[in-house]
Amino acid sequence: MDMKKLILSIASGFLFLFAQAQIEKGNLLIKNGTVLTITKGNLDQTDVLVKDGKIIQIGKNIQAPVGSKVIDATGQFVMPGIIDAHSHIALDAINEGTNPITPEVNEADVINPLQIGIYRALGGGITTVHAMHGSANAIGGQCETLKLRYGTFDPDVLKMDGAPRTIKFALGENPTRSHGEGAGIVPRTRMGVEFVIRQAFTEAKEYSDAWAKYNKNKLVKGFRGAPPAYSYRHEVLSDILNDKIIVHCHSYRADEIYMMLKVAKDFGIKRLVFQHVNEGFKVAPELAAQGAMASVFSDWWAYKFEVYYSTAYNAAILSKNGVVTSINSDDAEMMRHLYHEAAKTQKYGGLSDQEALELITINPAKQLGIETRVGSIEVGKEADITIFKNHPLSIYGVPMLTIVDGIVRFDREKDADDMRLWVDPKQAIETSVFRDKLNDADHCMEGAEFILDSEIFKANNK
Amino acid sequence: MKLKFNHRALIVLVAVSLSCFNSFSQDDRELRPVTSAYAITNVNIIQAPGKKIEMGTILIKNGLISSVGKGLSIPADAIVIKADSMFLYAGFIDGLSRAGVSKPKEEASREKVKDPGNPAPERAGITPQNDVRNFLNAADKSIEDLRNLGFTVSQVVPFGNLLPGQGSIILLGGKSADQMVLVNNSAIYSELSGASGVYPATTMAVMAKWRELYRQSSQAKAYQNSYSSNRTGLERSASDRVLEAFYPVIDQRMPVLFKSEKMLDTHRIFSLKNDLGFSLMIGGVKEGWPIVNKIKASGAKVFLSLDLPEELKKDDKKDEKKDEKKTDAKEEVKKTEAAKPKTIADLEKEALQKRKTESIASYTSQASVFAKAGVPFGFSTLDVKAKDIVPNLRRMIAAGLSEDAALASLTTVPAQLLGLSDRMGTVEIGKMANLVISDKSYFNEKAKIRFVFVDGLLYKMDIKNENLPAGQAGKFDSNAKVEIEGTWSTVTQSPQGNTEGKITFKKDGSSYSGSVSGGRLPEPVNANDVSLDGNKLTYNYTINFGGNSIKVEVDVTVDGDSFKGNASVGQFGSFPIEGTKNPKK
Repeated sequence: MDMKKLILSIASGFLFLFAQAQIEKGNLLIKNGTVLTITKGNLDQTDVLVKDGKIIQIGKNIQAPVGSKVIDATGQFVMPGIIDAHSHIALDAINEGTNPITPEVNEADVINPLQIGIYRALGGGITTVHAMHGSANAIGGQCETLKLRYGTFDPDVLKMDGAPRTIKFALGENPTRSHGEGAGIVPRTRMGVEFVIRQAFTEAKEYSDAWAKYNKNKLVKGFRGAPPAYSYRHEVLSDILNDKIIVHCHSYRADEIYMMLKVAKDFGIKRLVFQHVNEGFKVAPELAAQGAMASVFSDWWAYKFEVYYSTAYNAAILSKNGVVTSINSDDAEMMRHLYHEAAKTQKYGGLSDQEALELITINPAKQLGIETRVGSIEVGKEADITIFKNHPLSIYGVPMLTIVDGIVRFDREKDADDMRLWVDPKQAIETSVFRDKLNDADHCMEGAEFILDSEIFKANNK
Repeated sequence: MKLKFNHRALIVLVAVSLSCFNSFSQDDRELRPVTSAYAITNVNIIQAPGKKIEMGTILIKNGLISSVGKGLSIPADAIVIKADSMFLYAGFIDGLSRAGVSKPKEEASREKVKDPGNPAPERAGITPQNDVRNFLNAADKSIEDLRNLGFTVSQVVPFGNLLPGQGSIILLGGKSADQMVLVNNSAIYSELSGASGVYPATTMAVMAKWRELYRQSSQAKAYQNSYSSNRTGLERSASDRVLEAFYPVIDQRMPVLFKSEKMLDTHRIFSLKNDLGFSLMIGGVKEGWPIVNKIKASGAKVFLSLDLPEELKKDDKKDEKKDEKKTDAKEEVKKTEAAKPKTIADLEKEALQKRKTESIASYTSQASVFAKAGVPFGFSTLDVKAKDIVPNLRRMIAAGLSEDAALASLTTVPAQLLGLSDRMGTVEIGKMANLVISDKSYFNEKAKIRFVFVDGLLYKMDIKNENLPAGQAGKFDSNAKVEIEGTWSTVTQSPQGNTEGKITFKKDGSSYSGSVSGGRLPEPVNANDVSLDGNKLTYNYTINFGGNSIKVEVDVTVDGDSFKGNASVGQFGSFPIEGTKNPKK
């Protein structure tokens, strides 16, 4: 080994120390469940073997390695951990709403691993979330794909290391209201939103061209000259133009979605996911043609003017038109029953179990560029697994165990009352008792408590 | 020259004899010292943590320690302080505070900006070129408050959010900014807090801006170097005060001092350090224990906050007492209470209280966790009430920090971290005469500080008229005879500034009635439950604030025509209040 190589290997060793947070990975065997692999069909009475956080074997009658944890999933459903492609949990800041263009800000800097919402999401079977910048700006901040490794105090441990970079864009009322109405600057209209995006990309092109020219000139012997002024903002915009970052664009109306498709085409942006996209059903073929994807609500609209025209068939229409579609929550409560949200596409649009489950597993994984690592149960993939009592698309489906990298992060049987990681020493103590037998006040079950205490009730609600 | 000096010394001597030898017990800090020589005799000298000379003598001359030991002969010109059986320590060093630093007027930061995305650097809080020396006020009370606790040196920083300016290490004594400054431009100061309503407003934008400024500065510096080596044919290198302020940081000649109270702040600051590679100090650390190993590995210099969360009040005990008052049959109540089974709410409350108590204990034991992990640390008094500092040190010691380690973190360690070890931190010949003398061991609950030397200048604590920090009530004396009838002017200190008001007491037989006006009250309100017990005065009144009634409870100690104590304002906390009686018309 020559000296240069040696130094390089030492240096990269140090880099490794800095960059890699210690991530806990587990070994376990899940026995005898109905495995919904998503990509390889459903397998009855099948075992899944996990080693060092990865799925290494799927089959019948797998012997548990010595010392390995064994989970009996008899009569239960084993599915890949649910992925929410639009969330704002585990973040200390959502919107840098001071400027219409802020690609340099990064949610990776403000991850908060202490939020109890992470644990609650695990309780809903979620293992991965796309922690996004808000929609105040036409070009917002960079987002971070997180694995819900609740229990860590280190924000870096939540990051899904190696997941592609993503960024939030926003069209329509939010940016025009924040900047046009709020600050009296462009954009005030949808035209303005298009303009500021195009302007930003044009400047970024000029910026990277100027640097390319400078770097080329520098190679000429005897060259003397000033470099272009460094701009973090334009560095990130250039990365978008070079397809190093997946654009996730908040949008509602068909006209603005179509506008954004054209902008992407004009600037050569290939990786584009529309978020919310309530009128996506109107431009589904156009989306499919350009390879753009869509992440939608199941049936949520009419909360502001631009979201009045919508339909619960949106996900089904987009899917049937060949658009890679996911169902997201954008909400800490809704994300705890994303499996119900997916099931609604069976009522509205008649999607099959397989198609409905793809909406919350492999499809959001594709939208985040992590489909080779998670989103299905396959040998070689990361062991992010949720075990359901009853089928996940059934109204009786209940997530019992949520596993991330082979580590059980949520276990309904061991779900303690107080799962906070951090207790604010200054916060006042407030109790929240729903039913207090001794101080019986008037409540809707007054005089009927014996039902709640009966063995039958307890057995049914176990 | 020599003749002149002697002449002056003679005049001084005469002056001293005329004014009796009492100059000592009076507040003499405004006077020039009569001599620069002192001898402190018969004192327990703690030279460094764990290194003690019993009943020794220390000589001071011209601001320096000239001799330490036993049986030293005392120079003729020395003022002798008979510190019999007292304890002498090296003066304490505070790693981060704003002692003596004036707050700039806030008007500038409230100006409406035309384009909130592109504010002027000053409006965004980006003024790393500012020098804290321009904001120093030698007469500021905060300097005295810290010195009264034994602090003699502090690293002080300007007010502001993102990059307020550069700090200095100052002596907590002196008549002017320049006289106080020991090391100027000791660090570039930063906080991860954003500007209000303009870019960068959020922590993520603050961090993005930080990276951009640092990289722009590196670029500008490199270009300036190449420009100054050969200017012909090159575009002029532009002057930029903001970017230039980073040059010594990029050269590793100046550290970045970050306020880092929260655990997540510390993570974020480390992420900036790893990206940019500056040398780092973190101050005001309150939540470092879960990541003590990460902090150790980072090599950052650490100043832990001397602030601690309040201990949990025993609510249950209070309730019990109230019940006892209500009924005469105390035993009966106790029996029924004991017999009463715990409700779900009781159990939930107990569990929550237990976790809160554990959380408070974690904060209190932070210092001992750092000591056990072998991370050297000093302390920071930033945003800590002076009256809490010594009690908090004792709480840290009770939670496992050794007294020696606590002393080291007040003396030798911060001296080392700030590069001052050649001048201070221990009681040794040649070191600056920064000393603190207490009548008992410093951490003893009953210890009182008697003398503090800063740079050889003596500050004497008059314990009869205790120099109480603001808000601390005087001693309760049930036999004191005080007269409160009349009108008093009050000043209440709060984070929003001082509030002035008036209270008038009238005597009705054996009790008092009162009326409160001024402050935020549109019209006078009655003072209720006015009670005077010896020199202890309490009363309360109700103010309306945004439609809510808030009870203000005042609890003060009267001393002649003045009072001091606290005004507790509902959930908003307790604030120091002082009153002076207006002369009768």
